[in-house]
Order: sequence, then C-alpha cells, then structure tokens
Amino acid sequence: MNALTQADAEHLIYSEALYLDQRRWEDWLELYTEDAVYWVPAWKNESERTASPDSEISLIYYEGRSSLMDRIWRLKSGLSVASTPLRRTAHLVTNVLVGSEGDVATAAFAVHHFDPKRRTQHVFFGRYEYEFRRSERSWRIARKTTILANDQIPTVADFYLL
Amino acid sequence: MPATEKIFAVPRSDPGTIKRSELSALIDDRPGERVFRVNRRVFTDPTIFDLEMKHIFEGGWVFLGLHSQIPQPHDFFTTNIGRVPVIVTRDGGGEFRVFVNSCPHKGARICQLQQGNAKVHVCPYHSWSFDSAGRNKAIKGRAGGHYGDAFDQESHDLYALPRIGDYRGFLFGSLNADVPSLDDYLGEARRLLDLIVDQSASGLELVPGAVTFTYEANWKLQLENCSDQYHFSSVHPSYLKLLDRRAESQWMGTTRNMWDPNRRHDEAHGAATGGSYNLANGHVLNWRMPDAPDALPLYEQKDALAERVGEAKRDWMFFSRNLTIFPNVQFAENASSQLRIIRPLSVDRTEMRTFCMAPIGESAEARRLRIRQYEDFFNPSGLATPDDAVVYEACQEGYASSGSPWLQGYSRGICGKVDGGNDFSRAIGLAPEQSITGDRTLGDETIFHAYYRAWRQRLADALPEDAPVREGVA
Repeated sequence: MNALTQADAEHLIYSEALYLDQRRWEDWLELYTEDAVYWVPAWKNESERTASPDSEISLIYYEGRSSLMDRIWRLKSGLSVASTPLRRTAHLVTNVLVGSEGDVATAAFAVHHFDPKRRTQHVFFGRYEYEFRRSERSWRIARKTTILANDQIPTVADFYLL
Repeated sequence: MPATEKIFAVPRSDPGTIKRSELSALIDDRPGERVFRVNRRVFTDPTIFDLEMKHIFEGGWVFLGLHSQIPQPHDFFTTNIGRVPVIVTRDGGGEFRVFVNSCPHKGARICQLQQGNAKVHVCPYHSWSFDSAGRNKAIKGRAGGHYGDAFDQESHDLYALPRIGDYRGFLFGSLNADVPSLDDYLGEARRLLDLIVDQSASGLELVPGAVTFTYEANWKLQLENCSDQYHFSSVHPSYLKLLDRRAESQWMGTTRNMWDPNRRHDEAHGAATGGSYNLANGHVLNWRMPDAPDALPLYEQKDALAERVGEAKRDWMFFSRNLTIFPNVQFAENASSQLRIIRPLSVDRTEMRTFCMAPIGESAEARRLRIRQYEDFFNPSGLATPDDAVVYEACQEGYASSGSPWLQGYSRGICGKVDGGNDFSRAIGLAPEQSITGDRTLGDETIFHAYYRAWRQRLADALPEDAPVREGVA
C-alpha cells in the first residue's frame, strides 16, 4: 500500500474545504472514516490548549461519524435559529505539509464567514492536523484536530465555520 | 412633539443623565394589580448602562471565581469587576487577596496573564514591583529620583479591594466598602450554593478548558434567559430532537437524554414538577425534575449522597437547577454543570466566560459523560447555546421599536406566585421571599421580578431624589 503523498493530502484537504463552502454535506461526510475522531480543543490559558478530551473541555469532540451526521441534520432541520440562514463561508487552506511519520498532514486555515441576516462577518483561523487512512480506492480522514487560534467566539461557532 | 417623546412614561432627562423618578418608572411594578412590565429602554440606553456599571457591578458584591483556581500561595488569576481589572491571588501566607490590576505609578495593567503563580508582579511600564500581598517592593531608581517627602509619605501599594469574601470556595469582591456582609448579601442563596459544593465531600472544581464567547446584546438578556424555562422547547428543538434521534438509533455515543419523553413520569395534570424561587437581593433559582435522573453524571453517587447529605438534598441535586447570584454569575445544572460569568462590555455587547464545574473525585466515566454533555449543550460551538445567543441579538434588534415600549414577558405565573416557600424549599431548609410551582407548561416569568426589583433599587438609591419615587402599591 502506498504511503500518503503531498498530492493525496492536498486533494483531500482542498476537497473538504470546497465541500463545506458548497454545502455538499454528504460529500463532506464521505471524506471521513466511520470511526473518525473530530476534535476542536479549547484553551487552558494563553498558550496551552486542552489535550485530553475525556478529562478536559473541548470546543467540539466527537468519536464516530454519526455525530457529524447529527450536526448536518441540525443545520438542515430548520429548527436551529443560529443556523437559519446558514452563513456563507470561504475556507482558505494553505501550507499543507505531509508529515514524515505516518499518514499525517498539517495545514493552516482561515475561514471567512458572512452572516446574511445581520450583514456581519468574521474570520476563524488556526491550524488543521490530519490523520488519514486508505480505504479501498481512496484516502479518508481518520482524525482531524482543528486548533482554533482565535477562540473568542462571536455568538456562534459551528463545524462548517471552522 | 419629537418622535421619541411618546416612547416613555415620563419625559426624558437631558442626554447622558436620568432622573431617579424616570429610572424607577422604567419598571412598571404594580403587584396589587398583578402587573409587571419592563421598558425596553433598560436594554438600550447607554446612560443606564453606565449607571449599571458604576452602581451594580462596581458598587457591590460580584463573583470573581473559585478557591480551587488558586489553591497554592502566590497562585493568581486575573478578571474584571465591571470595567476594572483585578488580580485575585493568595499571598505568601495563603491568604486570599484581591487588588486592582493597575500600577499606582502610571495606571498600567500590571499582571498580563490570565492565571499563574508569582511571588512578585512587575509593572511592564516602569518596573515598579509588588509582592503577592500587594505591597510595593521596589520603585526603580528611587534613590536618584529626587522625590519629595510627599511622595515618600504616600502608599505605593496596590489598591486592595475594600471588601472580599469567600463562601465555601466561591470568591466574591466589592469595589464599594459600604455593602452588607457577603453572608447577608448571599442570604438564602447560600443553601443553593451548598447543593453545588456538597455533591462531593472534597468540593468543587473547574474542568480545565475555558470557553469565551460574546454576543451583540445587553447583559440582562443572559441574566433572564438562564431563568427562562418558557424558551426551552422553542429555542432548542434541534437539540431535543437530536437526543431523541440518538436514542431511537441506539446511538452508541457518549451522551444521555435527561429529558427522555418516553420516561416521563405518570404525572397528574398540573402536578408540580418544577418552579422558581425569588430570593432577596436579586438572586433566583428555577428548577425542574428530570425525566431520567440516571442520565446525570452525578447519579452514580445516588446512595453515597443519600447517606452523606440526606435524601431530600440528594434529590434536589438531581433536579435541573439554574441559579443566579445577582448580578454576574450563573450556575446551570442539568445534563452537565456550567459556571457562567457575565461581563457586560457595552449596552449592546456582552462577554460570557464559561466553565464546566464538577464534583472533585467523580469517576472517570462520570467525568467523561459530564464533559460530552457539557460540550453538546453549553458550548457556543455546541447544539444549544448558539441558538440562545442569536435570539438575544434578535431581541436587541427588536428593542429599537419605539411604538410599544412595554415588554410583556414578565406575566406568566403572576397569579400563581406566593409569598414564602413551599414543601420543596422546606425540604432543604430554603426560605425564599416568593415561590411558585407548576407542571411542565408553567414557564414562570415572575422569576425576573426579583432581578428588576433589585436592579431598580440599586440604581434608584444611587440617584439623587428629584421627586417622590413611584413605588409598587403592595
């Protein structure tokens, strides 16, 4: 089995950004393995983020794709005023670097988002850390950690804004 | 007549000022007629916001944090009292102390960090230094500074808060010396803080990881919403339906549903399953029985708690409880436990600092359940809190309406509220000023009366008397 290449990593990471911006939720979900871990740590102080999700608070921590399906359901349900209307996003992802050990990569992100209801905008930014796993013909995301650098959250944060 | 004139019950003072009678008239409190209305202006007027900062947040007791955040000598954390930055610390002897975080020299904020341990705090501007008891240790270049006697006779220590208090590890401070004792201020709310601390024989801790969010609306929106049971099914249907979905699909996840409709008790119509208490000084509690207490992380302590604190108190710990200590701290205990500190930034902008609370020594599995349920419900990146915050902003936007200034959201329960307590409060020795119970459809709004009566009294007392103050008829 071939190791992860730079081109593999970029294709997957940029696809994720595109699917989120285009609200292709099912395509986005397909990028994740069944048992994927989706994690956005919180911060303990100015420089340390939480490292142990079972004994420390995270902004988001999910084990398994079903929780991501829950989040998609919520966005589409019409039952969440914070998600109605959805914010428009542009995921800018850069500095993709494949790690030397294992099928891992990191990237820098800036997600610009605009709230069409209040005509306001904000940028969440930070770094993604990925672990990939090869399944049949394609690579999938087995673990994604989103390190949110600006964790002062203006009213709403959600997976599609990160 | 200018368009704005018709908004208010009484003519407006000049911009930037407000008369006592005018302020009092913004709360239309007529108990005898069962009328309670709040004028929208209390949420929108910058002059009122300045008065709130001066006379409520900077004029009386506010919550600072927990003893367990500074367990060792020289431990500190920084926070704000109203607009004033403060250092909360323990000196070399372990004594709890609070100082204004501002150098007496040029006023700069001295301690730049959120938390830490420091025997000495050095001002970043001209290096004046202070020990953890607030004493000035050195003035750089003092010998060659050609200072006069007057300077030498002045204190160069940090300004210590005139009043600080520690109730069972809950730390409070006041920038105003002329306040009642902390015990008197908290009053009956102490019984409700006990219900939080006594969940573990070892006390309470904050789970590492702080989450901060802001919203573009007045601080009193958060104050009210925590005590507002009426909004729950309207604002959080996506959360409630997700819990149902997870249950139906035998979801092997890490949360449980304490509001499981399949397990709802066989209640007689109208049977009391919740209610609220108004306490003195603006503190309030609303409570509700859970459908499935075994979904709570604390449930593992069912028998041990009954033995240690008694069944009545134990059962109360399983109730969903939202407690506000006026004006700036709220304790929300339902599927998990949250400590929220309200920090008003301006009349239409508020910062919320939020923490997960937990009994010290709970099992790893209970802690994990607590954390997962916390993230789901309480985080601004979760499934419920963003919907609250967006609704606050919708309110703030709507407050611009000048046609009908009086809000009608203070009326539910007005014919059910009684003076004193009831069997539920008596079971834990709680003596509220007023109480109400009801079934799941109660959605009491009289709970807010306690906020606005305390609010009006604190502000009106601070303003010079201009005319007989309008009072309720009771």
